[in-house]
Amino acid sequence: MEGFGPRIAFELPIFGGIPISDTVVNTWIIMAILIAFAVLASKKLEKIPKGFQNVTEAIVESLNSLTVQTMGEDKLFFAPYMGTLFLFLLLANLWGLLGLRQPTADINTTFGLAIMTFIAIHFFGAKSKGIGGYLKGFFEPLPFLFPLNVMGELSTPISLAFRLFGNMVGGFIIIGLLYGGLTSLSNMIGLSFFPIFQAGVPIIFHLYFDLFSGVLQSFIFVMLSMVFISMQMD
Amino acid sequence: MENTNFIMRFLEWLMSFDRKAIILAASAIGAGLAMIAGIGPGVGQGYAAGKGAEAVSYNPKSGRQATTVMLLGAAVAETSGILSLVISLILLYANPLVNVTGAAIVVAASAIGAGLSMIAGIGPGIGQGYAAGKGTEMVGKRPRLQSSIIRTMFLGQAVAQTTGIYAMIIALVLMFANPLIGLL
Repeated sequence: MEGFGPRIAFELPIFGGIPISDTVVNTWIIMAILIAFAVLASKKLEKIPKGFQNVTEAIVESLNSLTVQTMGEDKLFFAPYMGTLFLFLLLANLWGLLGLRQPTADINTTFGLAIMTFIAIHFFGAKSKGIGGYLKGFFEPLPFLFPLNVMGELSTPISLAFRLFGNMVGGFIIIGLLYGGLTSLSNMIGLSFFPIFQAGVPIIFHLYFDLFSGVLQSFIFVMLSMVFISMQMD
Repeated sequence: MENTNFIMRFLEWLMSFDRKAIILAASAIGAGLAMIAGIGPGVGQGYAAGKGAEAVSYNPKSGRQATTVMLLGAAVAETSGILSLVISLILLYANPLVNVTGAAIVVAASAIGAGLSMIAGIGPGIGQGYAAGKGTEMVGKRPRLQSSIIRTMFLGQAVAQTTGIYAMIIALVLMFANPLIGLL
């Protein structure tokens, strides 16, 4: 998509130039932050937590309890994946607060994550029910509903991906247009050297589109993944 | 003899305009049509507000919690209005159809169609507002269960958003990756 699509940041000089978009660069930065956090947080763990370790333990415990509450006691082994997904989405959605493009405002990121959920749904569904029981699920409640069931399963990742993408790209476009409008407003009253409108007015929009919508959408993505996976497994 | 087929006369009149003018006019219609979706969030949020007033009057002690849930639910119910606004703003300020080559009437109809498809937002708006209202009502009655009520409400609202998201996909496809123009 031209206009509001991701820009090409630079080209990797191998295989005749691979274009790297700013989505990828921002994702790399977020990955580096998360890895650095994980390494620092688990460096010297003590029996009695204090300071930084307290914060880390609180995060891990709340993510564990969210997984247990949503998926059930026996599916605690999903907590690391779901926790990582949640932290990544949280950072990615809040990336707009830094004035950078959110990686989740790119359909490739959200679709990649949704496909991972899709694979998890069907892999763990087949694993816990057995191949026979898993395939039988498609012919229930009545055999001729098979095409409808397949369509329903295929629409899960699409709606999951586009829900996150639509919300984030909507906020991104509105914030972008808002800054453009405020810039021309400042220029109109001859304040181009001192951008007074851009400093204060967008805060309330950032609050809704980045903070509220970003946190809510990352929560919803993770919760829906958990619900879909545990529904297929039970 | 004068052509009495009014549809043909209308189309001929339409073709008498410049190609770009037709596309821009259609974009204007599309931008306006998209905003009809605002009916949905309006009705839904009104319902949530009514339920909030009801909850506060029944149990003033839990009024603050009920208000919080009402505001959160109403903010989610706003989503389809925002998606329509985005499509509208794209049509107005960053119209990708102006530079598209192909029959003017197909491009113009795509602009109108992109706006029309966003009207689907009425459904999710009303539905999410209804969920927000019910959540507010029950938090007013049982404030202790606030966190699980909010969680269920958000999940249900996210699923209710699905058809509105599909409408936006179609609108974006019509504007940015229109397959119909290639068929000519």
